Amino acid sequence: MNERETNLLRSMRTDGAGFRVWVFGLIMVILWGAFAYFRQLRFGLVETGMRDQISWGLYISNFVFFIGISHAGTLISAILRVTDADWRCPITRMAEGITVVALCIGGCMVLIDLGRPERALNLFRYGRIQSPIVWDVLSVSTYLAGCLVYFYLPLLPDLAILQAQPGISPLRRRLYRALSLGWTGVPSDWHLLEKAISVMAVAIIPLAISVHTVVSWIFAMTLRPGWDSSIFGPYFVVGAIYSGAAAVVLAMCILRRVMRLEAYLQPVHFRNLGLLLLSFSLLYLYFNINEYLTVGYKFQSGEKVLLDRLLYGDYAPYFWVVQVVGVALPMLLMMGVLGPKRFRHFTVPGLGLASFLAIVGAWAKRYLIVVPTLSSPFLPIQGVPETWAHYVPSWVEWSITAAAFAAFLLLYTLLAKLFPVVSIWETRPPEAAALTEEPAPAFRPGVWGPAVRVPLLLVAALVLGAVAARAQDKPKGEPGPVQPTTLSVTWKALASEEVPRMEDGRAGATTAAPGKIYLSTRGMPHLWHSENPKSEPAHSVVEVSAQLRDGSGQPLAYQAVGFALKTSLGTLDFGKRPTDDEGKVQLVVRDRRYGQYRMDVAFQGDASHPPSQGQVLVDFGSRPAPALPEGGVLISPNFSAAIGLPFLFFYGSMWCVMAYVVGYLVLVRMRRERQRPQ
Amino acid sequence: MDNTRRGFFQFLARGAGLLVVSGVAMKTLAGRLFREVLPARSIAPTNRKWVMVADLAKCDGCKDCTKACTKMHFVPPLQEWMKVYEVSDNAAAGSYFLPRTCMHCDNPPCVRGCPVGATYKRTDGIVMMDQERCIGCRNCIAQCPYSARFFNWAEPPHTAEELKNVYSVEHNYPHRRGVVEKCILCPEMLREGMLPGCAEACKMGALYFGDELEDAVTNAKGETMQFSKIAAKGAGFRLMEELGTEPRVYYLPPVNRKYPSPGEKHMNQMGAAVPEEKPMHDMGAMGKGQA
Repeated sequence: MNERETNLLRSMRTDGAGFRVWVFGLIMVILWGAFAYFRQLRFGLVETGMRDQISWGLYISNFVFFIGISHAGTLISAILRVTDADWRCPITRMAEGITVVALCIGGCMVLIDLGRPERALNLFRYGRIQSPIVWDVLSVSTYLAGCLVYFYLPLLPDLAILQAQPGISPLRRRLYRALSLGWTGVPSDWHLLEKAISVMAVAIIPLAISVHTVVSWIFAMTLRPGWDSSIFGPYFVVGAIYSGAAAVVLAMCILRRVMRLEAYLQPVHFRNLGLLLLSFSLLYLYFNINEYLTVGYKFQSGEKVLLDRLLYGDYAPYFWVVQVVGVALPMLLMMGVLGPKRFRHFTVPGLGLASFLAIVGAWAKRYLIVVPTLSSPFLPIQGVPETWAHYVPSWVEWSITAAAFAAFLLLYTLLAKLFPVVSIWETRPPEAAALTEEPAPAFRPGVWGPAVRVPLLLVAALVLGAVAARAQDKPKGEPGPVQPTTLSVTWKALASEEVPRMEDGRAGATTAAPGKIYLSTRGMPHLWHSENPKSEPAHSVVEVSAQLRDGSGQPLAYQAVGFALKTSLGTLDFGKRPTDDEGKVQLVVRDRRYGQYRMDVAFQGDASHPPSQGQVLVDFGSRPAPALPEGGVLISPNFSAAIGLPFLFFYGSMWCVMAYVVGYLVLVRMRRERQRPQ
Repeated sequence: MDNTRRGFFQFLARGAGLLVVSGVAMKTLAGRLFREVLPARSIAPTNRKWVMVADLAKCDGCKDCTKACTKMHFVPPLQEWMKVYEVSDNAAAGSYFLPRTCMHCDNPPCVRGCPVGATYKRTDGIVMMDQERCIGCRNCIAQCPYSARFFNWAEPPHTAEELKNVYSVEHNYPHRRGVVEKCILCPEMLREGMLPGCAEACKMGALYFGDELEDAVTNAKGETMQFSKIAAKGAGFRLMEELGTEPRVYYLPPVNRKYPSPGEKHMNQMGAAVPEEKPMHDMGAMGKGQA
């Protein structure tokens, strides 16, 4: 235990007046936010500034912001770990802490935004995998679990060190002991831990990238101008890493000052991370140019309205804060302090300021993503009060936002007090670390056991999404009797004319099996049920003939006879036609009609002939079986394999990796290896 | 496990056994997961494909449709499930009234995006809304390009008449806070063989409603038209066709109008001194009137 470690541990235990005031202040802000949220629960979202036109506001901006910040840690530390960048060691823990805390806060923001938070469990009860919101639930929860694992694993040796420290409270000691899982530091412990951490580090990179991509898809999967963009996924990911890296740099600056970590956090760490931040600011600038230039070059109608408002309209302040304060200024500042040698004294404060500006810009950018698009809908905003057309966050929203930031800071402070913000074992000089190199392990099939169990676990995950279906009987009408009068009417179907078909040339009329109505899933692979009985039957061309006779049975020639079809809501008039010299009249109906209808044929009569009428039940062919529209895969109420399986597979395998790492490597193997006689 | 040939074969055998077992389990469970039979609530009581046609040439902007809809469904204040917009395609083309219901799209973005299936498509084409399942995430509002969805931001004011009813997805009232509302094409009226409230109330006969499978649409004046014929002859169009939402509401272009356009109407009301570009998107007066 050297001097800087002693300092680190002491800073965890001491709680001076400044610390108490800080925590008290944060708790006050959180309580105020809780009061605001209570009002919102009581009176509804009317307490916010959101209305029908702009129905997402600060909460969703905060959600995107915190999820972005959460990319700080884990992704950066995972990339650095995978690439074996040794300088990462003192900063990984504080970065991962940001991730865990930011994810918790971000998740809460969505819950706060719900109109019916008490029904949030419907997401699991009725969840539809076709919805981006469900993707979000899936990805954020997986990411949170992954980050907790990734935060916790490197903590194990430190927890063992902590619980052996003299002078800590018994409660803390019990907590550390319980969490350390009996870590003893034998070579097998170290070996398994290294393995577990490297597996998680590899898994967490695609997971982190997927999370912010999925967040961007909430917007990009809509049709709205400004959101309907194909680069939103990478755009969000880069923006997230940029804001996240800035958060890490800022946390480093502050913790270095507050917890006296100068011995750990040296200018080289700031310099390296600053270069990373600088490169991401350049990348972000590139994405911004790409996003706005491609839109601004063409000026499509909807996009033009939006872009005008962003560049010089009511959202211009936000837009230019993002571009200047959020991107350009930090970039110049970083170039200044990282470039010329004579400014290098200012590296730490310069980077701190740059990252603070970047975070401010990142927050403004999230607001800019959410609000202006919603306030520029396709149809003009008409007939609502002026305040509904412009979003101004209410005090409730600002209070909850302030409370969210306060909660973030409080949780992070407590995390820093409870666990060392710098990894003790990783920052020890190499010879002090107990890690001893083992010979490369031979092929050990036992390791693959859980991998074989992966399908089983996947299946278990799939079962959760299963939805019950119920069949319903289809009523069918009976044809009524034909009632001839002096106007005798008949009908016949002419050559069957088929409905224009889809190219796949499916066969004609079939009806659904009784009691079952099938989804229409055209163009989709049928994974387990091959037959899909949905198809459109042909409708017939119908010829209705009438024979007009007088009382003595003689045909009446050259008289007007009217035809009218009784539909369910009205009567379709076909007009009048003259009878020919045999008293016959024909009407050919080529309408796109299905089902049976009563055709009323009427002769109005004249001075010498009394009026007469007749009717006939005409059959235009059976109606197509009821079904959802063609291509209804995404709107299906049931599980859609095409979109559901990739998501379940990806996040399911992530859960399997976590189960393997925690359940098998750490809980089972570590214990087993310890008990094995050396 | 030993690093031996025997151990290796044991491993292989175990792995193969697990694969077989999991394969069988997957096959069984997948049968339950990949259902192709529609749940009961998605199946409409009748086998129809409802369709609406709004003849813009006949719409004089009287908003009787909006009033009837609001009255029939006890629509909360400031929501207009059936809303009459005043729009113009370009400055030269002048303005016209555009009655907008829910489009009941065949490729509805709201249904795609709903995380809990609270809004769902029925086999008769109606996009339904279940306020007992809605969690209030408002993703459907973000998804809808027609601004046809509304949210109960506060507890809606109730009337005694409204509270007499028991909630049903077929009429969506009594209304409740924190959920999304929209036009559901009056399924109760359709069950009775009647026109939806808005079409029934349109004195101009501008709103036609019917069953696409019957190829007939009817308006409040009792005029029944052949749907495919008026759509084809009248150059029927759908709103924002380019978005691929496949609406079930068709419009006939506002040509040969007998009534003043919104622009002319405003001129008549306010005297000739009104600047001509004013009436279009500035609807503050309407808003005040309602608030």
